[in-house]
Amino acid sequence: MTAPRPPLHGRKLGDRRVVVDRPHSAFFRYSGPGTMIAKAAASTPTTAIGRRLARIRGFVFGKPLTNAQEIGERLSKKLALPIFSSDAISSSAYATDEILRVLVLAGLAWMTWSIWVAAAIALMLTIVAFSYRQVCRGYPSGGGAYVVARENLGPNFGLIAAAALMVDYVMTVAVSSASALANLATAFSAIQPYKVELGALVIILVTAANLRGIRESGNIFAIPTYLFVGMALLAIGVGLMNTVTGTAHHLAPPAFVEQPGVQAFTLLLLLKAFAGGSVALTGVEAIANGVPSFKPPEPKNAANTLIIMAVLLGTIFIGLTFVGMQYGVMATTAQGPTVLGQVGNAVFGNGFLFLLLQISAAMILFLACNTSFNAFPRLAAILAQDDCMPRQFAFRGDRLAFSWGIVVLAAVAIAMLYAFNASVDALIPLYSVGVFVCFTLSQAGMVIHWRRERSSGWAWRSVVNGVGAVLTGVVFLVVAYEKFDAGAKLVLVFIPVLIAMMMFIRHQYASSTRQLELTPGVAVPQPHRHNRVVIPISGVNRAVIQALNVARSITTDIRAVYVSDDPKKSDDIRERWTQTVPDVPLVVVESPYRALIAPVVAYLDVLDRTWPSEREEPITFVLIPEYVARSWWERLLYNQATKQLRATLLGRAHTVVINVPYRRDEARAAAAAAEIEPAGTLVAGDNVRNQ
Amino acid sequence: MPEANTPVFRRAVIALNGGPIDSYMVRLALEVTRHTHAELIAVHVVELDWTQPLDADVATEEAQRVLDAAEGIAEVMHGKLESVLIQARDVGAAIVDEAAARDADLLILGLPYRTRFGGDFAIGRAVPYAFQNAPCAVWVVREPMGEESK
Repeated sequence: MTAPRPPLHGRKLGDRRVVVDRPHSAFFRYSGPGTMIAKAAASTPTTAIGRRLARIRGFVFGKPLTNAQEIGERLSKKLALPIFSSDAISSSAYATDEILRVLVLAGLAWMTWSIWVAAAIALMLTIVAFSYRQVCRGYPSGGGAYVVARENLGPNFGLIAAAALMVDYVMTVAVSSASALANLATAFSAIQPYKVELGALVIILVTAANLRGIRESGNIFAIPTYLFVGMALLAIGVGLMNTVTGTAHHLAPPAFVEQPGVQAFTLLLLLKAFAGGSVALTGVEAIANGVPSFKPPEPKNAANTLIIMAVLLGTIFIGLTFVGMQYGVMATTAQGPTVLGQVGNAVFGNGFLFLLLQISAAMILFLACNTSFNAFPRLAAILAQDDCMPRQFAFRGDRLAFSWGIVVLAAVAIAMLYAFNASVDALIPLYSVGVFVCFTLSQAGMVIHWRRERSSGWAWRSVVNGVGAVLTGVVFLVVAYEKFDAGAKLVLVFIPVLIAMMMFIRHQYASSTRQLELTPGVAVPQPHRHNRVVIPISGVNRAVIQALNVARSITTDIRAVYVSDDPKKSDDIRERWTQTVPDVPLVVVESPYRALIAPVVAYLDVLDRTWPSEREEPITFVLIPEYVARSWWERLLYNQATKQLRATLLGRAHTVVINVPYRRDEARAAAAAAEIEPAGTLVAGDNVRNQ
Repeated sequence: MPEANTPVFRRAVIALNGGPIDSYMVRLALEVTRHTHAELIAVHVVELDWTQPLDADVATEEAQRVLDAAEGIAEVMHGKLESVLIQARDVGAAIVDEAAARDADLLILGLPYRTRFGGDFAIGRAVPYAFQNAPCAVWVVREPMGEESK
């Protein structure tokens, strides 16, 4: 591997030294016996266009990071909170509205029940958060509900949880970008016709930010989340102060108030209010999915972040509901002001703080999709590691992000935007259905987990999770029933389709693994099969001779095949072939129907049939000579037929297809050499154009 | 009158012998030259006896690994380090000649703590040679004593 240079003389007579070349050092570093680590230079493109593209990619997405830098990309609690919690915390901005919109149907007097419904939801949030806290500690490799269900309920339940979660993550992206644009459209009506395109643009921007890596996207998205949390808490604090001091008075009814008292107050109505307000829980599971993204100790940091998130979410949700009740806020239609807006207006007036609260709410609603961009790719990576998704989903990109998951999520969400014309009303019914399936499965899984583990407090923990499973299960049924006709039926179709797809992928990988498996501990003997080479040629030229030379290094059983639709040309080729390589037989196949590929395949079939049946099938090497031009656009002119032939032979039994490239530079050098060679040698480039 | 300023080095040669002191020396050199952006050259010499020609292909993967490890440390510390692998008859002469040829103003050598039979400290041949012949400043980093030597 090394080539010593001539000796250098030292300062004293007789002192000499030789500097040894280190050709590997530009690209690799030895890390142990027989082990090398590739340096960045080994991944650098070698072509000018490749280098230019790499520079552009580096500018847009940042410089590639090494695996060793992964630990530096891990998230602290304060950075993880906005990344994984923007979805959950943002839902506190509209969860109270969902409760009031149902309760108002029974009449204004029943709206005071909103605080009890909110308290019940907060209790469920506590149970779910408690359960996911245990999931963070018990399953530190991430995966959340999927892993819990897989480990405790069986792999197929795991797939149900995974499919439900994936659908919900896609819907989160579509809904949050659509609702952000809907908000913008109310202020700037000019953008109304371009909502889909702008939504797609927004998703592409968030995708680009996430492809820059989890830490960098966290830095971008942290400020709006903290701003919203700060403003919402300030609004609640001022509202509580006003309540205590007795200065909180009922507001005048806003515009677009929902029509009150059109239904009787029943248990079903109460359940509907509960189910409506339960949207506050969407996104709670995201932290349990992304435990490995945290700084060590990962499970502890993730569990603590989850608790902080649950406390913030619960405080803002209950606080807004309570303060809203004190000010007598009303449920409004989609065009009217939100509960948050009414509370903000009541406590801050119409000033700067109110504006800041509204802006921060709009921003966090828009950024809720970022949680999906972190949770979905990680879930897809875990599924890929379990062979339930294509393995590309488990590969990390240049910036250590799961690029495939990010891009696929963006693509599907954009497709949903187009399919539903970025209409929030059309998309909302599809949202928050799947998440309750996975809550129910994870809670049920945790019951079994506790019963199996029998650690201290297992009995009461399993009861808590059992209650949680029943509650979330009921919410799922109510949500699915309520939203079925409005669009939830689509989700109930998507989930089984996704499950079927993942089961199919798992079956395919299991089957290929079985086929590729070697018997452990058994030494593989030398092969005894006969080898033969077939070289399809388009003429007699240097590329063919190069392929022939390669063939000679494989076996002596070589034949060339020339398919022709012109008998006169065939005679010419045969004559030249016999002159140039008399020791290798040439088979000319006349093709009166002008087909090129099929006669070659038929010839190989004939060769197989003529092989003695008592002998083991030989391995047929099909060597395809290829002229390789320098530029990509020049390459369009050559090798189209060889590409077809290669594709046709790819799945053929006992057949190995080898491309033998003959590069333009080699052709030029050979042509230059040919000028001083004796007469009778070949001319470079002859017939290569026909390949 | 003693000079008040800290000496600034432009180019330093670090002689590596593949021992445990290597990584310490590389880190020290990188730290010392961090602010001056001095050029660092890591040199490892494979000593050949007279039974083999000087250009014999004896530089093993292990010899390459000594320099690769140094490069790895430099990469982690975001420093720049050039590495040179040399075959010579005498380690000391090769190091000093390389430092002189590269116009280095500092030569850093590592010294394992070893004692001869009888208890005398063994300084080897390369360090005294460098002390006597190196045209530049010479730093010697002796590895810490083992527990049994204390």
